[in-house]
Amino acid sequence: MDKKENIIIKLSEVHASFWIHNHGINSIKDYFLSFGLKKPFLRKHVLKGINLEIRRGECFGLLGKNGSGKSTLLRTIASIMPIERGSINVYGKVAPVLALGVGLEPELSGFENIKIAGVLMGLTKKEIKNCRAFVSDFSELAEDDLKMQVKRYSTGMMLRLSFSIAVSNNPEILIIDETLAVGDQGFQSKCIDRIEALKKDGCTIIIVSHSSEEIKNMCDRAAFIEEGKINFVGEVKKAVDHYSNTFK
Amino acid sequence: MKEQLYILSTITVKNIKLKYKNSALGFFWSLLTPIVYLVIFTFIFSNAFPNIENYPLFAITALVFWTYFSNSSTQIVNSIISSSGILKSVSVPSITFPLTALLAETFNLLLSFIPFGILMYFFGFSAGIELLFIIPAILLFMLFTFGFSLILCALNVFYRDVGILWGTLMPALFYFTPIAYSYELIPVSYQWIVKFNPLFHYVELFRAILYYNEIPSNQLLLTTVLLSFSFFAIGIFIYKRLERGFISNF
Repeated sequence: MDKKENIIIKLSEVHASFWIHNHGINSIKDYFLSFGLKKPFLRKHVLKGINLEIRRGECFGLLGKNGSGKSTLLRTIASIMPIERGSINVYGKVAPVLALGVGLEPELSGFENIKIAGVLMGLTKKEIKNCRAFVSDFSELAEDDLKMQVKRYSTGMMLRLSFSIAVSNNPEILIIDETLAVGDQGFQSKCIDRIEALKKDGCTIIIVSHSSEEIKNMCDRAAFIEEGKINFVGEVKKAVDHYSNTFK
Repeated sequence: MKEQLYILSTITVKNIKLKYKNSALGFFWSLLTPIVYLVIFTFIFSNAFPNIENYPLFAITALVFWTYFSNSSTQIVNSIISSSGILKSVSVPSITFPLTALLAETFNLLLSFIPFGILMYFFGFSAGIELLFIIPAILLFMLFTFGFSLILCALNVFYRDVGILWGTLMPALFYFTPIAYSYELIPVSYQWIVKFNPLFHYVELFRAILYYNEIPSNQLLLTTVLLSFSFFAIGIFIYKRLERGFISNF
């Protein structure tokens, strides 16, 4: 196969920053009390020139310490986070980034959340109907649970709901951000089976995890991020070693 | 396009459902609140302003739209912050959330016309050809409300003070706008100040149509058209300028 055709996500020299409140200033009052001497916003450089190619149909792992820029990287790929410089090419439809409970509306029921998430993902009415059936089946949440407001869900139940929604309509690109760990053993292995099945269907998967085992078991390739830069891309075992070495 | 409309309608319905989710009376609050105000005003002010003919109708014709303005701006100001979870996980234009907040409130406004129509009829409201002007008047008011609230909404993402300040200022603005009283009651030498309040012109517009049964004057129409489009343009401009920084400050 042509190498170019094989690439589904290509990032070159991607820079991204957060604009955060300057220390001590989080209200207009403080700003005026400093007589405008302090700048109200500081730039926090999170991604510092990321170059990355992800191949179609592979399961790609991302490793790195807390705060190294993994989630931000995922969000730039999902075009949720605007980038400052560089370019991102994504040749496929990205399913919502799975982070725990994020994106669920706590006041609404599970079923209502399925509908809203489906609509925002750009599904048609019919696809949402399928999604509903799939979620009821896959999440193993009872009908009563799904009728309940999400704010009464446990963390594990939220994972079941959001994971089921994201994998329901055979996404082209699935992004998983440190979520699986809170599921019980049964659901974790079910998720892993589903991920394998999606992979067989040609879905590209990007996983962020702090569990070296999870990455080793599922991923074909992995990258190690440190302070907004990719320090290693390639064999999973080596990436895991790089990651473990930072804690020695 | 069809997909966008589907998104908008679904989120609008969600907002309508959400607003009164945990209250026993639910939707009826959007009718009850102005009625409670109306009773209070009629009680207090109809004796204070004996010159105003048919005071309840006079008050209600402005009160309904003030309620719309205050509800919409409150919802829109917080719309981005309260949707931060969704905005962090799905790539969707962020303006969807202020826009659907406006649409949900507009839906409430339209529904509230049924009981208020009956109430107004009861107070001696009569309809003529000028009633047709209510449609463009509402559209203009929507545009103004949206533009104005977008400015606050975008700033509120960075400084939550904006939302708090707006909640505090609103009652003052209410009394600064001739809603419970008539513009003519203001001493002539101060009347020019009131004209700087954009809401004043919309209140005049709605009153001309619903209370005085007049076709709004060209000058009034022109003023409100200009106000609506300028606020809309400024609102969109500021919103777009600040939008990139939203994700760092949810």
